[in-house]
Amino acid sequence: MKIIGALIFIMMTTWIGYDWSLQLQKRTKQLRSLIYSLQLMEAEMGYTYAPLQKVFSSVHEKTTEPVSYFYKYLQQALTESVSDFSEVWEHALEKLLKQSALKQEEAAILSQFGKNLGNHTFLQQEKHIHLTMHHLKEILNNATDEQHKYERMAKSLGVLAGIFIVLLLY
Amino acid sequence: MKVGDDMEEIWRLFPDHLASKLKQETMKQQNPLEEIRLRIGDAVELIFLNSIVRLDQYHFTSEDSMYLLNQLSEHSLYRMQQELKEGYITTTGGHRVGLAGAVVTSSGTIKQIQHITFFNIRIAKEMKGIANELLTYLRDGKTYYNTLLIGVPQTGKTTILRDLARLISNGHDQIPSYKVGIVDERSEIAAAYQGIPQHDIGKRTDVMDACPKADGLMMMIRSMSPDVLMADEIGSLKDVQALTEAMTAGVTIFSTVHGNSLSTVKKRPTLEKIFSLKMFSRYIVLSRHKENCFSFQVVNGAGSIVHQGDLQSS
Repeated sequence: MKIIGALIFIMMTTWIGYDWSLQLQKRTKQLRSLIYSLQLMEAEMGYTYAPLQKVFSSVHEKTTEPVSYFYKYLQQALTESVSDFSEVWEHALEKLLKQSALKQEEAAILSQFGKNLGNHTFLQQEKHIHLTMHHLKEILNNATDEQHKYERMAKSLGVLAGIFIVLLLY
Repeated sequence: MKVGDDMEEIWRLFPDHLASKLKQETMKQQNPLEEIRLRIGDAVELIFLNSIVRLDQYHFTSEDSMYLLNQLSEHSLYRMQQELKEGYITTTGGHRVGLAGAVVTSSGTIKQIQHITFFNIRIAKEMKGIANELLTYLRDGKTYYNTLLIGVPQTGKTTILRDLARLISNGHDQIPSYKVGIVDERSEIAAAYQGIPQHDIGKRTDVMDACPKADGLMMMIRSMSPDVLMADEIGSLKDVQALTEAMTAGVTIFSTVHGNSLSTVKKRPTLEKIFSLKMFSRYIVLSRHKENCFSFQVVNGAGSIVHQGDLQSS
């Protein structure tokens, strides 16, 4: 019985370790996807002069989930008459945080971006997009470093910590 | 998305608390609403046909103006580059919102209006059939004369021109329909929203929206082969030049010009050529009474009055 319990315990810690490393991977991937989505947004705004709703719908089609869900939600929210767009944006952002591996750090930057979205002429809007992309790229760099540093460690740490604790308890 | 008595297109531009106040005030009035004037920090002003109402208890705030701009641009102000340069935005329903504020210039040309503080919402009015009576005096058998409408602002020049376009392109009585081309530089005649006319301008009418008149007239002639061409508010020498060319191309021209009488318009130096070449065979001079009607005079090329009367929308 004890052995089965110990095995289950080790499996659990292993799984926690794997999940941790997976989160690290996901975050960099999703950050890249976010940066890409901002590039798309800029292109849509500059070339087609489409309203935000159309911009969101085409960004939604060209990105991968969970970032694409974020844009889908925004697009759907704008089909109805909206009085305060930044509220809608905040709400979408909250949902994105729950569905993704993204952290508060990038959410704060996006939240700031949402406050300026649609309130400016194209040139100003472009500057806001560039600034946001710049910030996100910095976060991406840090996140990539973190991923390289901890990715393998997280996996082995899970297994080893499990074994260690089991040995201690014996 | 055609214009009707439906004012919802206007009310949706305002935050709820303001919209309900405006609605209430409009309900109280007998006459139709013509303009809503908004100035940040000042009372909202409603201009009806015969009266001006100021809502002194409510001052238009900068939050309201943000709301208005957001609704106008569909939360996408970056699209409004051209509009902010021209100083007006056309909305669904064909209503026009004029803007004023601080102007940003770059090397002498206007780049855009920033810090928009003054708004003038002009409610589009479509008066179908108002030009019915006029048409008999504007044609010789089955062909139309080159016609110039003269009037000060708010005398219905554009409204009448729009109805003429509708009647001519649909055809009426025994007169066959003609192909009509409209060069709508200020998006007033057809009030196109993303290229789609918001007013009924007839079934055989093509519109070149937001296009400079001089270029637009030639583009239309080259590509759309119109029988009748319409353009609003000629003023510059370039416009006159283009009109002359269009006429020699065999197209009938309908146009409008600002002025309170034929004699004052004749004095304008830029329009000199029009009169010396006797380009127009009919002038319609419009003025406006207190009641909801326009009075008109149809004058022929020689300067004698052919007909006069009042116009009433049917």
